Amino acid sequence: MASTVTNGKIRQDQTVLSRRRMLKVGGAAVAASSAFSMPYVFSRSAAQSEPLTFWQFYSEGAVGTQAQWFATMVDTWNAENETPVRLEFIPPPSEDYYTKLSTAFAAGEGPDIFLLSPSDFLRYANNDALQDLTPFLEEDAKADFYEGVMTTRIVDGKILALPMEVEPIALYYSVPAFQDAGLTEADIPQTWDQLLEVGERLTTGDRYGLLLETRPGGYQVFMWYPWMWMGGGDVTTPDGRQSNFNHPGTVQGLRFWQETIEREIAPRESLGPGSGDVIANLAAGYCAIQNTGIWSIAALRENAPDFEYGVFRLPVPPDGTYTTDAGGWAFAANAEGKNPDAAAQFIVWAIGSMQDDSVQRVVDWCTEAKSDMPPRQSVLEQATAAGAYAEGTLRTFAEEILPGARGEPRTPPEVWQLITDAIQSCQLGGADPARQAEETSQQIEEYLATYEGARIL
Amino acid sequence: MSVSDGGVGSERFAARPVIALPPRRRWRREHREWLAAYLFLAPDVIGLLVFLVLPMVLALTMGFFRVSGFGDYTFIGLANYQRLFSDELFVNSVRVTAVYAVVLVIGVYVVSLGLALLVQQRLPLIGLLRSFFFLPHIVSLVVVGFVWQFLLVNRVGVINKVLAAIGLEGRSWLGDPQFALGTVLIVTIWFLMGFYMIVFLAGLQEIPPEYYDAARIDGASFWEMFRSITLPLLRPTSFFVILVTMVAAVAGQQGVDLTVVMTRGGPDRSTSLVTYYVYQQAFEVGDYGYAAAIASFLVVLLLGLTAVLFALTRGGRFEFD
Repeated sequence: MASTVTNGKIRQDQTVLSRRRMLKVGGAAVAASSAFSMPYVFSRSAAQSEPLTFWQFYSEGAVGTQAQWFATMVDTWNAENETPVRLEFIPPPSEDYYTKLSTAFAAGEGPDIFLLSPSDFLRYANNDALQDLTPFLEEDAKADFYEGVMTTRIVDGKILALPMEVEPIALYYSVPAFQDAGLTEADIPQTWDQLLEVGERLTTGDRYGLLLETRPGGYQVFMWYPWMWMGGGDVTTPDGRQSNFNHPGTVQGLRFWQETIEREIAPRESLGPGSGDVIANLAAGYCAIQNTGIWSIAALRENAPDFEYGVFRLPVPPDGTYTTDAGGWAFAANAEGKNPDAAAQFIVWAIGSMQDDSVQRVVDWCTEAKSDMPPRQSVLEQATAAGAYAEGTLRTFAEEILPGARGEPRTPPEVWQLITDAIQSCQLGGADPARQAEETSQQIEEYLATYEGARIL
Repeated sequence: MSVSDGGVGSERFAARPVIALPPRRRWRREHREWLAAYLFLAPDVIGLLVFLVLPMVLALTMGFFRVSGFGDYTFIGLANYQRLFSDELFVNSVRVTAVYAVVLVIGVYVVSLGLALLVQQRLPLIGLLRSFFFLPHIVSLVVVGFVWQFLLVNRVGVINKVLAAIGLEGRSWLGDPQFALGTVLIVTIWFLMGFYMIVFLAGLQEIPPEYYDAARIDGASFWEMFRSITLPLLRPTSFFVILVTMVAAVAGQQGVDLTVVMTRGGPDRSTSLVTYYVYQQAFEVGDYGYAAAIASFLVVLLLGLTAVLFALTRGGRFEFD
């Protein structure tokens, strides 16, 4: 560093960049950039706090009609109301939806409105995260929803979510595969033994006869429930306080799923995201019969319109009673969101009002955008009058599959994780179903002994 | 007239050619240098504290609480840690992770070193071969998982088609508990081998070629040179590879990513690593406190394993005669 001495004082050359000067310049640059960005930060955060965020997995999904339904609904609301709603796409449950939703709530940044399934319901209900929708619903509208569909969304008399659909499970079969095996509609199985027999005839070197869910998780449990119920089994006693998992019907259901793997009728893995994807599996020729739900009709209509298929209800075991699982998603409002009341008003306006547009909106969702059974009487009447369930596979669902269906249970994740472990052990691990059912029943019993929350249904 | 031409006052300065600064000014100069040093270090240190140390401390603390995931924190002391050893699923995940870690460390070491020895040769297009082996490492783990899942499907997957073509029976590589963990390990080694190949390559190039020349003159075979020259002189690199691979095996992100995509911890919990179990407890069950306790256990385990490794290698110091 250059310096000169003048009159006994040392002066440093100001033209050379010193450490001190560099620090001063650097600090000034940081301060300037922060000051410049502040208005942007404040204005951006201010702008973001206004619309209600609506998390769902349809607005950028594979089915265009479903994305359009959501967009139209939100656009109509925004045109008529002061508090706007903004759609935010989150990848579907087969990928990341549950994780992102729970993480957002844990960070105190949960969406204002979101889609909620029965398997996840208690996590939010038990933590008072759901806005009570009851005050916003007309009495006629409350009565319009089917009791079996609403029961799992009500806690202590409060309606905490509104179902948008009812999704029963069935078996889809490939017509070309049936023809290749010399089978006709007359061979459609009515019993479990017949299903195994037909499955074996349909199995070839490149194709499995039957596809059941093998990936562990809540979806596997959802698909397996009716195979337990048909034999009289259940997760808990009717009051939800004790385990009933060691029932013979449970053992029977575990044994059947195990047998399909042992006899190599069903694969150990499905293609794509899982057995809920009918395009990657049935339509691709990977299997001849696939256990999936009513939503697959819309998926096939959009993505494989030329594929010939049929549907039939789940076969029954010896001395069993037919039933199936009727799932479906619901709209829910965040009780700690920006404006829970406005969120509740939006939900009721969208799918829970007796107004013509609200009823029509659910009709459009169930019969045009997607393929579902309606959760409300008025919607079923209107859709039926329009001929939506008059023919084809929707008619089969309406007349043969849905009658006798039972709503998807609401169980805490601690319980359905035990159940999926039991299914995995028997189906893929070869465990003894009776011993496994007993062991899992004891684990469920231990959990229920300390469980504090809404009744498990 | 100035000091320099012997003018007024110049005799005072001639007797003292070096101008001594007063003590107070010297102390401030040193202090300013310290301040400058700390200010330059500050951004990095603040970043480490905020994004690494603070989350670690919070995570360790969370293990002593029941966390609802909705803003409720209830202090429960050591209850989460006591639960660890009676939790069969956790014990199973530790067992799976132990097998995974041992096989991964050995597999990565052997494969990467072998590839490094191969690509060290001066052959045409050897650079292309090095790039080819490194390529898997630049692909997203999620994509890797999906692609391999597709290749490995029983009956219709490419792998089983090839096996059938050469007369071997295909398997459900990801759907059978007997094969799933091994399959995930093979995919993981395939993903990591290129990176560690580069690390070993750098280590091999540090070995003076004169040693090999002298050994060849003495008639040593390839294996004798490998045992007596390559392996000993690769000790620092080997230590690094083993240490980093071990940490990756026990607590690495690749374990969770591939497990989530390919197997979701199945079939029958045969690929449920500890890291995946932490993910499940946190994001599927919503028991963040318990997940934090498991993660803290992992930290302690890793510290212990690292301490053992350092102790065996005398602090990672390698001296050569």
